[in-house]
Amino acid sequence: MQKLLSYLKPYRGKVVLATVLMAISAVCSLLLPTLMSSVLDEGVAGAADADAFGAILRTAGLMLAVSLVSLASVAGGYWVVYHVISGYTWSLRSALFRKVHTMTLAEVGRIGASNLVTRSTHDVGTLNWLISMLCGNMVIIPLMFLGGVALCMRKDFRLSLIILAAVPFLLAVFLLLSRKIAHLWEVSDEYCDKQNDLVRERLRGVRVIRAFDREAHAHKRVTEATRIMADNIIRANVSMAIIDPLAGFVLNTAALLVVFVGGIRMERGSVLTPGDIFAMIQYIAIILNAIVSVSFSIVLLPHARVAAKRLSQVTESKGVEDDRPAEGLRFSGNIDLENVGFTYPDSPAPALSGIDLHVRAGEWVSVIGGTGSGKTTLAELLLAFRSPTEGKLLFDGRDAAGLSPKDVRENVSCALQKSMLYAGTVAENLRMGKPDAADEEIWDALELAQIADFVREQPAGLDFKLEQGATNVSGGQKQRLAIARALLKEAPIYIFDDSFSALDFITEAKVRRALNERLAGKTRIVITQRVVSAMHSDRIFVLSDGALVGIGTHAQLLETCAIYREIFLSQTGGGSL
Amino acid sequence: MKKTETTNKPAEKRRLIDETLLRLLSEVRRIRGWILLSAFLCLLLIGCAVASPEILGRLVDRLYAWAREPEPGLAASLLPGVCLLFAVYALREALSYGNTYLLNNVVTRFFTSGLRVRLSEKLCRLPVSYMDKTPAGDIIDRMQDDVSTMADTIYGIVEILLTGFLQMAVIAVILFLTDWRMAIPVVLFSPLSVFLSAKMATLGEKHWDKHFDLGGKLTSLAEEAYTNYPATKAFNREETLQKKYDELSRRHQQSGIFGNFLSSIVQPVIIFVDALAYIAVAILGGWLILRRGVPVGTVVTVILFARQLSSPLENIAFGLSYVQEVKGAAKRVFTLLDLPEEEDPKGTAAVPAEGRVVFEHVDFSYDPEKPLIRDLSMEVQPGQKVAVVGPTGAGKTTIVNLLMRFYDIGSGRILIDGKDVSELSRAESRRLFAMVLQDTWLFKGTVAENVSYGCPDASREEIERVCAEAYCDSFIRRLPQGYDTVISEDSTAVSAGQKQLLTIARAMLADRPLLILDEATSNVDTRTELLIQKAMDRLMGGRTCFVIAHRLSTIVDADVILVLRDGQIVEQGTHRDLLARGGFYAELFNSQYQI
Repeated sequence: MQKLLSYLKPYRGKVVLATVLMAISAVCSLLLPTLMSSVLDEGVAGAADADAFGAILRTAGLMLAVSLVSLASVAGGYWVVYHVISGYTWSLRSALFRKVHTMTLAEVGRIGASNLVTRSTHDVGTLNWLISMLCGNMVIIPLMFLGGVALCMRKDFRLSLIILAAVPFLLAVFLLLSRKIAHLWEVSDEYCDKQNDLVRERLRGVRVIRAFDREAHAHKRVTEATRIMADNIIRANVSMAIIDPLAGFVLNTAALLVVFVGGIRMERGSVLTPGDIFAMIQYIAIILNAIVSVSFSIVLLPHARVAAKRLSQVTESKGVEDDRPAEGLRFSGNIDLENVGFTYPDSPAPALSGIDLHVRAGEWVSVIGGTGSGKTTLAELLLAFRSPTEGKLLFDGRDAAGLSPKDVRENVSCALQKSMLYAGTVAENLRMGKPDAADEEIWDALELAQIADFVREQPAGLDFKLEQGATNVSGGQKQRLAIARALLKEAPIYIFDDSFSALDFITEAKVRRALNERLAGKTRIVITQRVVSAMHSDRIFVLSDGALVGIGTHAQLLETCAIYREIFLSQTGGGSL
Repeated sequence: MKKTETTNKPAEKRRLIDETLLRLLSEVRRIRGWILLSAFLCLLLIGCAVASPEILGRLVDRLYAWAREPEPGLAASLLPGVCLLFAVYALREALSYGNTYLLNNVVTRFFTSGLRVRLSEKLCRLPVSYMDKTPAGDIIDRMQDDVSTMADTIYGIVEILLTGFLQMAVIAVILFLTDWRMAIPVVLFSPLSVFLSAKMATLGEKHWDKHFDLGGKLTSLAEEAYTNYPATKAFNREETLQKKYDELSRRHQQSGIFGNFLSSIVQPVIIFVDALAYIAVAILGGWLILRRGVPVGTVVTVILFARQLSSPLENIAFGLSYVQEVKGAAKRVFTLLDLPEEEDPKGTAAVPAEGRVVFEHVDFSYDPEKPLIRDLSMEVQPGQKVAVVGPTGAGKTTIVNLLMRFYDIGSGRILIDGKDVSELSRAESRRLFAMVLQDTWLFKGTVAENVSYGCPDASREEIERVCAEAYCDSFIRRLPQGYDTVISEDSTAVSAGQKQLLTIARAMLADRPLLILDEATSNVDTRTELLIQKAMDRLMGGRTCFVIAHRLSTIVDADVILVLRDGQIVEQGTHRDLLARGGFYAELFNSQYQI
């Protein structure tokens, strides 16, 4: 929490300014009832005095001035507060975003992309909201409270005890309640999520549901969830609703006591005037307002604590990548894996073990294997997303462990399994690989990836806008755009990680042909589940359960590798050539 | 994102009362009895609100009287008033809590839940095409957030109309009765603060719209960046992305300052206007006390009443600023409720069962601009295995959509055993088919419930029997609770391949005369893959099957191969025939062996 608040540091001056402004406005609000009482007292006392009305006018003028100052200072205060909060939120978000991109793939995977999004939106928002609630009230409430008590004490010590007792009592009750209420809210949120999940599941499965004529069943499940959700929402709302009446009752009773006890004190000869008592009643009203508005932030404090804790988990995360600066190395394309093994942190069995794999510069190789065979882990090692837990990975004989990940990635161009395109134009997406690429180069890459025709058909051409997740193009088009992006980047090593899976055979054959022409002389690694994608390469590596079980050409492997033969048969049914 | 709908249409004037609001109010009529009860409670509340300053004023008046002419027995004379006021306070807070309790129960139980149930019912009858083109998040937002926002109308009605305007009116009357001279400034100033706060709310709305819009964009950017993390890193693009994010975030924050500022100063402005009224009362009151001998207590009462005006004023201001948002939400919900539903013929007594399928000159397209299937004709004999092949986007899954009547054909006829399917009810024609899709959908429930989804009355023995036939039994028995293990779409207890096997078992148990299979392209290990093939072969035995085929073995074994290209059947025949013909199929087939 402290670390998170440290982002407020640059705004120290402004925070002080806002506090002062808020304090001025609080003092003004405190002055008003006193002035009002003096009007009344003057009226009563001055019935015989000729200038009494003049005195009243003067006091009224003072009241106007005080009100104006109060409004101006509170407006100024909020203006500054929101500038501070806006700057603070910006810094916090920026720091989070930067932090995520220094974290390792394992850490990002552990926390999860959607959790990271929640943290940088929802959790930051909660903190932001809390700070804005507190910035105003943190100053005003204690001031009102202390000021009110001080003013009362000056008049009559015993009477002020009433306020002194009521306010902390209320705050204590709210703090105790807040735990219960926060819990009820959590439960209620949970049931909202459950209902949402059910609806999402139902929408996804609409075909199966209708095919089996089970809409009534699906509807019943949702209705049941809605009912349970309603019960929990009511419980949470109703528990929250106790705050307002409770605060009202306690403070109004306090005001009443002030009148009654004040009367008794007056009778016993205290210096109290009715005006003082009236002023105190109004202080209590002001305090009541302030407490009610802060009570909601008290109730949400546990929420904020959770948010802060989750944010700290990201900002304090130790799972960061090697941040040594890039040296601008240029590889020639030799890759050697020497007895490489990799075990995921919380997994008992290794994902890869004893891999000896040597690729010479300019070679075209394929890695084939089913789900869980370790193919993707291998790709992640080659991109320096993970480091081998055993053995060595060498680029041109240099141990990858001694290289900056940035240098490795500069030398490896890849089309990833999940295309991973960005919202923006086709040109912007492709230029990721080569920021200064000319339009002709982009067209050339699109041409090679067999997607130029599609782009040409779009009225905007290269400026055709892809939506987030590239949802406005098909899976095959996404893959081809990702391939084009990888091709545009100039590197000695190219990796295609399962990036032909959504292409039909004709298109794939064309892409394959284009790659071989264009990338001749570069190291190419095709990672795939499809025999068809692998069978033509110089050499094929067969992975099974994290071990290398075969190396050779298609023909050799059909002879020597049982697993390869099995894969081949299951996919082609032994279809003859 | 929600907000952009309104900002895009600046020409459309925002009226307070329109069709949406009226319909919203008519929805509220469903619970009018309860609302009336709440109104009654509010009246009592107002009674308390009015009584308390009156009593307190009298008490203070007594203090002032004593200050002028002290006489013994002040405490005793205060006591009855103090007790009465205590009772009034207690009653008021009890009523206030009771009213909130009542409204919450009524609104959530009858209003929002009712709407959600109606929306859920609506989902049963919406065409599949609607679900296909509408993101699930959009529908969920309507069911959840928009409905909640709509509930605010009820609180709004109670707050604006009852505790707001009514309380103000009552207070105004009482003020005039107490002292009409002092009442005038108080009553004159209140519309001013309503006006000012409403003005600030509209002024703020524009900024809020922009702020929310940018917020949505910022979230999308973060979402994209975090999911695309590997790509960003692989291309060393962290800094570029950071700059983009920081810039958007800066704009987002700046757009929020003014809106937040405006919302925060609504209350201070109301308090200021209040203070003006207060000052006017002070001057007038002072003068009245001095020159007209009005009792101090009267002035005190007026001041206390004037104070009571500020809370209904804030309520009204807040309520008004909210109306547009509530209407926006209501509009989205009503739009969903009003969508056209799937038309469904009554159905007939004679349901076909043999499995001869004929397409006669069928035309179909998802988008009228782009015709997809044109003049498709084919004939499939009972028990035949049909493999549908072709490049991506050729319309293979469209065949499934049409057979299952998820979409309606444009023209032509589809006949099953000579019967035009459009004469059958949708449920009837769907009951002819079992379906195994690539997208293995399982709902959150036990394994047994999932397998018996198409046949809910099946006994445990039957379920176990088909699971054994579909090679599921052994892995199901290894699950922690066996057949009673709860699984769902994203449960990791069963692998992708095992999910496929479960959907095959599900189709087996349903036991329908026709079968639709959409072969999975990948993501299954070789051993499970073999099991899936064997299970599928068993399932296909003796049934008329349509297979969206990716596996060569399936294609080679098919009785008929339909080769689709751009929505047309370009070739039709067995594997051998088609290869010999040397056309598109041969090209498709051979391309995989080319370097």
